[in-house]
Amino acid sequence: MLVQDIMQSAVVTTDAHVRLADAYQTMIDHAVRHLPVLDDGALVGVITDRDLRDATSDLHPSPIQAHAPVREAMSADPITAGPLDPVEEAARLLRSKRIGCLPVMEGADLVGIVTVTDLLDAVTRLTGLSKPGGRVAVSLPDEPGQLARLTGRVAEEGADIRSVLSYYEDETRSGPEREPDADEEPPSRLRIILRLDTINVRPIAASLRAEGFDVVWPVEKPGSDT
Amino acid sequence: MSATLLYSNRYLDYDFGPEHPFSPVRQRMLLSLLDALDAPVDAPEPPLATREDVLSVHTETFVEQVEAASDGTPPARARRFGLDTQDVPVFDGMDRAARALVGGTVHGARMLTSEAARRVLQLGGGLHHAQAQLASGFCVYNDLSVAIQHLRDAGLHVAYIDIDVHHGDGVQALHYADPGVLTVSLHESGRYLFPGTGNVHEMGEGAGEGTAVNVPLEPFTESASYLDVFDRVVPYALQQFHPDVIVAQCGADAHFSDPLADLLLTTQAYETLFRSLLDLADDHADGRLLLTLGGGYRPDATVRIWTLLALIAQDRDLPDAIPDAWRERWEDERGDPLTPTLHDPPKTFDVPRRDRVVEQNERISKRVLEMAAPKWY
Repeated sequence: MLVQDIMQSAVVTTDAHVRLADAYQTMIDHAVRHLPVLDDGALVGVITDRDLRDATSDLHPSPIQAHAPVREAMSADPITAGPLDPVEEAARLLRSKRIGCLPVMEGADLVGIVTVTDLLDAVTRLTGLSKPGGRVAVSLPDEPGQLARLTGRVAEEGADIRSVLSYYEDETRSGPEREPDADEEPPSRLRIILRLDTINVRPIAASLRAEGFDVVWPVEKPGSDT
Repeated sequence: MSATLLYSNRYLDYDFGPEHPFSPVRQRMLLSLLDALDAPVDAPEPPLATREDVLSVHTETFVEQVEAASDGTPPARARRFGLDTQDVPVFDGMDRAARALVGGTVHGARMLTSEAARRVLQLGGGLHHAQAQLASGFCVYNDLSVAIQHLRDAGLHVAYIDIDVHHGDGVQALHYADPGVLTVSLHESGRYLFPGTGNVHEMGEGAGEGTAVNVPLEPFTESASYLDVFDRVVPYALQQFHPDVIVAQCGADAHFSDPLADLLLTTQAYETLFRSLLDLADDHADGRLLLTLGGGYRPDATVRIWTLLALIAQDRDLPDAIPDAWRERWEDERGDPLTPTLHDPPKTFDVPRRDRVVEQNERISKRVLEMAAPKWY
């Protein structure tokens, strides 16, 4: 998934010379918190609702007035992304620079903007949540071919995979999943979360277990033996 | 007040095949058990729903796909509409069978609007996953939404209560923006379980904001915690909403023995829930109540739970024992042992981290109310 797949491409902008009060009105009118700032058509900065409030606050040691130009309160030389950057790269950039948006540039042209909200929407899409489905979680040894084996087996069961998520397991596990053995040397394992197009995941889980897969969810229900 | 029961042998045609969990054997066993308990179902046969009934909530394109699939061969684009999938395989006569179920539920709604009945139990239906143009989770046509739409067209405010273990996503989506329909769903969290939705943040949209209430429960939730959450949320929501009528989907798949989900309710909990539904209808909707069946995939438990429902809805006494002859007959036919009593024998569960389950459910139910309350005033 690339930045161009999740960015907002009708970008609301402001100009370096407009008054802060007008920039604030623009944010309210369009229900946005981030405005790329242009000067003579070129991107020169980014201003956020927080920049505006901080710069004009009585608490600020030297507050500026609401009629001051945007240029005085914006962050200059903003960090930008490209439309072909992977979304995880955009997420890492936002996180490491502690910022809330990335203007998306194609050469000198502003073609979009990506905010934290867009990345949250991307998470929803990546998990396949927009379509109904049930989950199976499997712990795989971190070796070539394991995931192919898993998805191959699921396909043989006739289930359609809506999404595949994976991450490296660590010692902390949450939820009602089983606890790891405390004495166990933690080997490198990959947790795979499959969202399948079925309400009935237990038969698939049983078949995966019979093939030797370490199925973390679903588990046996307490009392299901009687 | 006793319930009017609705049933037709045509419901048995909604059959995805012998290996499929959503099996009409559950209704055959239910009817024969009620018979054996001297509470036979003597119900007038409701008419088939018309195509127009179905089109009140489904799109023309979708209905055409279902019709085209009803000779048992799926049209080319069927899968895009959720048909010809593992959960909703196509079968001969599918459109007609699905309309039979819709017909019963909407007939129940018509009996309420014409005041021919106050309390109706439809012994079928509850297909709460079906969406405007998507068959899903064993559900082709959404009988509940067609019935709710009929009640709405008659000018009534409808509260929908869904105790199936899966989120009532189809009903919620079809009435999401309607301020005249309150949907309340208690279900196992979508974090693991199908369909994956039903988060507390889903609260309705536009004019309908605040009229969707979702209570996602932890896997391994037991009866006490479930009933506690139900009592915290449901009466309060109804009190704020002032419904004219309550529609309830009574899926039995939150039972501890159900193979499709992970909650641990007992039949005793279901008895309490069913009595609560009747009381809530009396207290908040002048007794007007339409009850349907729903999920439930362990016939031994499902049939006993729905028998409880039918007996309680008719204000009948509950027997302790299941007649031996009935048990032997169905054990022979099905090959699985059946519980000899109407209720589960006493049962305790060894639940890992029970405190966390209870605490999380409590927290979620409080959050639901905190988030919804400001929208209700």
